[in-house]
Parts: sequence; structure tokens; C-alpha cells
Amino acid sequence: MTSFVKIVGGFAIVAVIAASAVPFVARADDKDAIDYRENIMKSLDAQTADLGMIVSTQIPDDNLVAHTKALAILAKQAQKSFESKIPGGDAKPELWANYADFQKRMDDFVAKTADMAASAEKGGMPVVMEKMVPALTCKGCHDLYRVKK
Amino acid sequence: MTRLLQFAAGLAFAAALTLPAIVRASEPDDVIEYRKNIMKTLGAQAAALNATLQGKAPAESFTLHAQVLAIAASEALIAFTPKVEGGDSKPEVWAKWDDFSKKMKEFAANTADLAKTAEAGGAAAAQPKMQGALTCKGCHDTYRQPLKK
Repeated sequence: MTSFVKIVGGFAIVAVIAASAVPFVARADDKDAIDYRENIMKSLDAQTADLGMIVSTQIPDDNLVAHTKALAILAKQAQKSFESKIPGGDAKPELWANYADFQKRMDDFVAKTADMAASAEKGGMPVVMEKMVPALTCKGCHDLYRVKK
Repeated sequence: MTRLLQFAAGLAFAAALTLPAIVRASEPDDVIEYRKNIMKTLGAQAAALNATLQGKAPAESFTLHAQVLAIAASEALIAFTPKVEGGDSKPEVWAKWDDFSKKMKEFAANTADLAKTAEAGGAAAAQPKMQGALTCKGCHDTYRQPLKK
């Protein structure tokens, strides 16, 4: 009986070690991927806020084109950053369950921000004002695929 | 004559309505928020660039991060020109404006070179230029308030 208890106890210790070790490794990798895409989302948020301040004339428009160019590249970064399909962070499970729809929305985001950047260079503020709302569809995607803040 | 007077009065009225919107100076809080957003972008993109080199993020995104760093550096150069005190800026920014301005110009030029090198030769070609381009700490130590812990 004593040796049975020892064996069970031994198994329990091994199980505890295994349970703590495996998720630790998984968490370390996942955390990197989540931190990475969160840095991209932070950049998108910051550049969008600044573009908004320019369009609402709070800030002069010297950097107008620069912000649109940054947003176009950041959209590409964002698209790639989700390809690892690592759940967690602020991503809802629906993102992975409806990945084809999510991907389509990211494709649109990349295409429309690229179009806005190319147009901004030629047409300036009036063109940006026209293209901004259809290009920066952040909320539509966040409502579906981001955990509520 | 009456018509001319009416026209002139109309023009003056229109000018009075539109002029303040165009030439009004930005509110100091807006200027500070605006440049903080650019600094947030720089911090997040520098972290993401490092992640691509450490195998924590897609290696092919290195160039995309270098490109955004170059754009954000050019934005930062403009964002400080209204010379609005406050935020995380130490008084030294304004007291030693020539040195600060020189450092910002170098930052913009060196990150632009980093991005061009990455576009042409990828991360391997650009990596040796990283340290010389991302001189964030050197400037922050002199010109940014210590971060609150």
C-alpha cells in the first residue's frame, strides 16, 4: 500500500511538472506572437489617431501623406502577423473560426490603405477625407474579432 | 458701388469665417498628444523589428518595420517644430534646440537609409546599420523625462 501511494505520488509529481512545463513553453511562444501583433495594432492606432487630428485641423497637414503611407505598410504587417494563427491576446475565438472572412477583411484593409496612400500623394487632404472612412474600417473588424475592452 | 460694397463685405465675412480654421495655431495638448503617438509608433515598431531578428516574428517583415520606422522618424522631425513644451520633453529639448534638431535629422536620414538597404538587400544587408540608425536611447537620455515606473 505504501509503495502504491509512492507510485501514485510519483505520478502526481511527474504530472504536476509536466503540466507546468508544457504550458510554459507554449505560453512563451504564444506570448511573442501576441506581443508582436499587439505592437503592430498599437502602431496602427497611433497613426490613425494622428491622421484624425490632421483631418480635423487640430494639427497642420505637413505629415498627411506620411501617415497614410505608414498606415498602408502597417496594414501589411498586421495581415502577416496573424498568419501564425496563434490564439490569445485580444483576438476572439471567432477570428480563427471565421478565418476566411477575417483574411478577406485584412486583404481589403491592405488594398484600401494602399490606395489611400497612393491617392494622398497626388490629391492631398480632399482625397484623404474621401478615402479615409472606407479604408480605416478598424471598428467593423474589432466589433467582430477583438475582445471587448 | 453698393454692389461692390456688398461683394467686398461678403468676401470679408467669408474670410473671417474660413481664415481662423486654416491658420489657427494648434492647442498645446494636441501637439503633445500628436508627437506622443509618433513616439508610440517608433517604440512599437522598433520592438517589432527586433522580434523579426530574434525569430519571434516573420523574418520577411523586417523591411516593413524598417520602412515604418523611417516614415515615423520623418514625422517626428516635423512634430517637434512647433516647439511646444511639456509632455515627456525635458526643457533641454528647447534649450539645446540646434543639437536636438540635428539629432532628429540624423535619425530621419539614418532610418531612411536603413529602410532603403533593407528594400534592396533584406535584413542581412540592413542589420549592420541598425545600431547606427536606432539611436533612441542616446536622445531619450538627454531629452526625455525619465519614464514613471
